[in-house]
Amino acid sequence: MTPALEVTGLAVRYRRTWVLRDCSLSVPTGRVAALVGPNGAGKTTLMHATVGLLRPARGRVRVAGEVAFVAQDKPLYDDFSVAETLTFGRRMNRRWDGAAAADRLAELGIPLKRKVGGLSGGQRAQVAVTLALARRPDLLVLDEPLANLDPLARHDVMRSIMAEVAGGELTVLLSSHVVSDLEETCDWLVVLNEGRPQVSGDIEELLDGHLVLTGPGEASAATAQVVSASRTGRQVGMLVRGAPPLDPRWRARRPGLEELVMAYLRSPESAALPRPVEASA
Amino acid sequence: MIWVTWRRHRAQIVVTAGLLALLGALLLGSAVEAGRYVAEHAAPGCPGPGVTCGDLAVALERRYDAVYSVFGWMPLVAPALIGAFWGAPLLGREYERGTHRLAWTQSVSVRRWLLVELSVLGGAVVAGGLLLSLMVSLWRPVFRAGVDSTFGNIGVFNMVGVAPAVWWLYAFALGTAAGALFRRTLPAMALVVAGVTVTMFTMFQLSDHYAEPARAELSGTVVLDDPDARLVGGAWVEPSGREVAEPSGSGCPRQVDAGRSEKNARTWEECLFGKGYRYAVYYHPPSRFWRFQWTEAGILTLASVVLGGLAARRVLRRPG
Repeated sequence: MTPALEVTGLAVRYRRTWVLRDCSLSVPTGRVAALVGPNGAGKTTLMHATVGLLRPARGRVRVAGEVAFVAQDKPLYDDFSVAETLTFGRRMNRRWDGAAAADRLAELGIPLKRKVGGLSGGQRAQVAVTLALARRPDLLVLDEPLANLDPLARHDVMRSIMAEVAGGELTVLLSSHVVSDLEETCDWLVVLNEGRPQVSGDIEELLDGHLVLTGPGEASAATAQVVSASRTGRQVGMLVRGAPPLDPRWRARRPGLEELVMAYLRSPESAALPRPVEASA
Repeated sequence: MIWVTWRRHRAQIVVTAGLLALLGALLLGSAVEAGRYVAEHAAPGCPGPGVTCGDLAVALERRYDAVYSVFGWMPLVAPALIGAFWGAPLLGREYERGTHRLAWTQSVSVRRWLLVELSVLGGAVVAGGLLLSLMVSLWRPVFRAGVDSTFGNIGVFNMVGVAPAVWWLYAFALGTAAGALFRRTLPAMALVVAGVTVTMFTMFQLSDHYAEPARAELSGTVVLDDPDARLVGGAWVEPSGREVAEPSGSGCPRQVDAGRSEKNARTWEECLFGKGYRYAVYYHPPSRFWRFQWTEAGILTLASVVLGGLAARRVLRRPG
């Protein structure tokens, strides 16, 4: 099956700095992919390249079908009413499901006559997401959709998106630097660090394939590939990839998503990427 | 897409149309009042060049000047306003509010978005400029029967014909390009005002070279008998036929005038004419009106296309 999003050898440069280098990854159809990484890792740049807001210096991005985008800070025309915002969407797009959009907003209790500038942060996010979903996209790209929202609004926005994913073939790529927001909703993980993907894969498989080990410093972890390790006194804690080690002094458990992400971000030289597929070209 | 253009810019469109309507009402009112005055006070054969028409001409002149003072600044200020409020925000406001990332990620391509915005708004600006030109051209003859100055007076020249339309278009394109460059509205507005002013004075200087000036040799006077001609320069012609900037060795005593009197200068000129000197005037006759209009239109339209192209190039290279 063709992936919903396929990025091959992408490189983007701002003046003399490379923001993305040799960036390759793919997201299968129907997934909700979390794009995480520290500030300045290139998340926004990767998303902008995906939606055509910038031309890469090298490499390419392939999206299967229509892509809709909600940029950071949910840009909307503040002097438009909500109804006019929907008209904007209808006039600017080939595919447009206006009835579904109106239903969604009615359900959320957002009045159509209200000026967009007068909406609360949560309502604004919902209007932006509604506008994107009404385009019936195959891929929905959301740049920090939950930033600046209170916990209730975060929950509501995520629930709206999840309801759409459950309904069909929609693939979602959303970025965040708060991993805990993504734990319950995402099933695919991409960790971006210093312009390169460090981890890319199914979240369950990733968690199954890693272990958090704690034990005495002199114990050997020979069979496992150490992602990152930290020492507190005589105890060593580490996150490893692969089979559990034979040394019985290790205590092993399954990592949480946040632990996994943190371990990789702490050691940029480690990577967990699918084996490179032969270029299909 | 056209709905989107209209909705985003309707404030500018409505205000501009309103101001034009207001100006139209003012001109119409003034023309009607002047027409009534002429009907009541004009002697037979007036208005016209006749001597008996002097009083009427003065009265009309006073009415003309009163209205002209209201919009005489228009050749400069109107394009500056168009550039600042139509051109500068077109891309500048989009960038500074981040809405370019909304507008340019819909199904409509950035290329098409630019094409529609620039052609619809550019077209509206040209239409507005032509409307202004039409109104001024209908209004002026009511006061200026027989005495035209649409060519010699560069301010009036830029308010009639196609000049307002191309100036407005140029300012709009300059504002759009400035908005694309700065990605901010306010600096783009400032650049437009400065840019339009500089361009206008440059074009004033340049316009002398739109055609080879005509030459006339005068005797007995140094003033060309055509108030609507544009003077380019003048020079004395010696009896030998040689043209000189300053006659020397003519034997005519030259004294500096005190204050605003021109008595000494006159005496000196009469002396020179008496000795066989002639005065050559270089000028553009009013018959070159359309040639100058189209030359200016050509230059400004070309500049507008280049500026629009630069703005589009900048946007398309890195839309985000």
